[in-house]
Amino acid sequence: MKEVDSNNTLSPYLIVFLLSLFILVVEGSLLGVIFTRVNMPDLLLVFVTCLAFIWGEKKGVLIGLLAGLMQDLFFGPALGLFALAKMVVAYLAGMTAREVYKDQLAGPMLVVFMATFVHEFIIFFLRFLFWGSGGDLFYFLDVVFLPKAVYHFMLTIPIYSILYRADQKGYFYPFSK
Amino acid sequence: MVDQTGRRFFIFLSIMILLLSAIHFTGDYRSRYTFAEDLLLAGLSPVQGFFSQLGWRTYRFFEVILDHNRLIEENKTLQQELAAQDNLRYQLVELQKENYRLREMLDFKERVSYELLPAQVIARDPSQWFETITISKGYIDGVKKDMAVVTSDGLVGNVAKVSRNSAQVLLLTDSRRAVSALIQRTREPGTVGIVEGYPEEQGYLRMVNIPPEAKLQPGDTVISAGLGGVFPKGLIIGHLLETGTDQYGLLQQAIIKPAVDFNRLEEVFIVIERLPLRSVGTGEELP
Repeated sequence: MKEVDSNNTLSPYLIVFLLSLFILVVEGSLLGVIFTRVNMPDLLLVFVTCLAFIWGEKKGVLIGLLAGLMQDLFFGPALGLFALAKMVVAYLAGMTAREVYKDQLAGPMLVVFMATFVHEFIIFFLRFLFWGSGGDLFYFLDVVFLPKAVYHFMLTIPIYSILYRADQKGYFYPFSK
Repeated sequence: MVDQTGRRFFIFLSIMILLLSAIHFTGDYRSRYTFAEDLLLAGLSPVQGFFSQLGWRTYRFFEVILDHNRLIEENKTLQQELAAQDNLRYQLVELQKENYRLREMLDFKERVSYELLPAQVIARDPSQWFETITISKGYIDGVKKDMAVVTSDGLVGNVAKVSRNSAQVLLLTDSRRAVSALIQRTREPGTVGIVEGYPEEQGYLRMVNIPPEAKLQPGDTVISAGLGGVFPKGLIIGHLLETGTDQYGLLQQAIIKPAVDFNRLEEVFIVIERLPLRSVGTGEELP
């Protein structure tokens, strides 16, 4: 039996906005300083994909858009780049979730793994399209896409568990069903 | 059902087109943020500063523990280098005086000098796609788009976007940028090349368009050529690591190890003001 806290006064979008801000600040200002830049995981991508997986593609698109726009504002070379990539990924993750059990970790882990490749490929393509920055795709597959996908695959375990539990407890009401 | 799916797809596609337009229009043309963006960035800048300081403290804590022996060795080396620098400083003062006398005799233009504004690095782009950092100074401090950013080691990059109290800096290692450069040793006018980010080897730069007759040696220092008006002339970019011919076999190219450690940027200086050129002889401002 789910315990749903319907007295939650904060809008789920506001919660997602604040959590995305926190993730971006921690990622860019704390982790970016401690670790060198090689193979930094994209915590925001895991966060967005997990939420889209739980809530479906309709809400996922808006969350991807919101989180992506904030990433663009903080670090992006233009508004819309990460927003587009995260929106598409959230849409696909939300669609996939229709056919997969949400209370088991294997589903979201695989979806996040695949989502990483889609997300990074979109950025690679748009970077080439708008700024002419090319590079060898196979090099990036080996050095950027795959290590990131593996990190994200592992990070999905704690992140999805926390978000799924929070959703079940009604912290995202009225999104929680 | 089909209608609803079609409608959703149409909305999704429209948002995609809007976002693509946004990328096009907000990419390279704007130097300032909108009011809402500015407000958000201004509010979060102190939070970013707090977290970056926390990050640096954590990094230093572990560095002291894990890298204790190397730090002792480094301290010894630095003390020796400092002693040697003292001698060099006296020689430099003498050379400066001589240079000034000779310039006065020839009525040469005074060297362009700059005002440096220190800034803390408060964030950096965590994705591997773009090489940018965020610094703690904005337009209220006089920072403007395209101002050069340096450290005591050399050239770091230039200001790409400015908000009220922070600014985004595009690093030299970003593949979207190119800087005109020359080899310090040869000083041949033909050895001006373009130093660009090198995505296949992160952290390294590539100098291209070097004429085939240029005599390059590994270890040669590469400095900014000062063309284009963004970067002052003479700033150290890095040192040649290896050289070779380009893919067509017509020109030379080289891999450069940057003078600045882009992974450990804590404080930088913004080149904020270019003082007017003056004639050394008469002291008059030149046009």
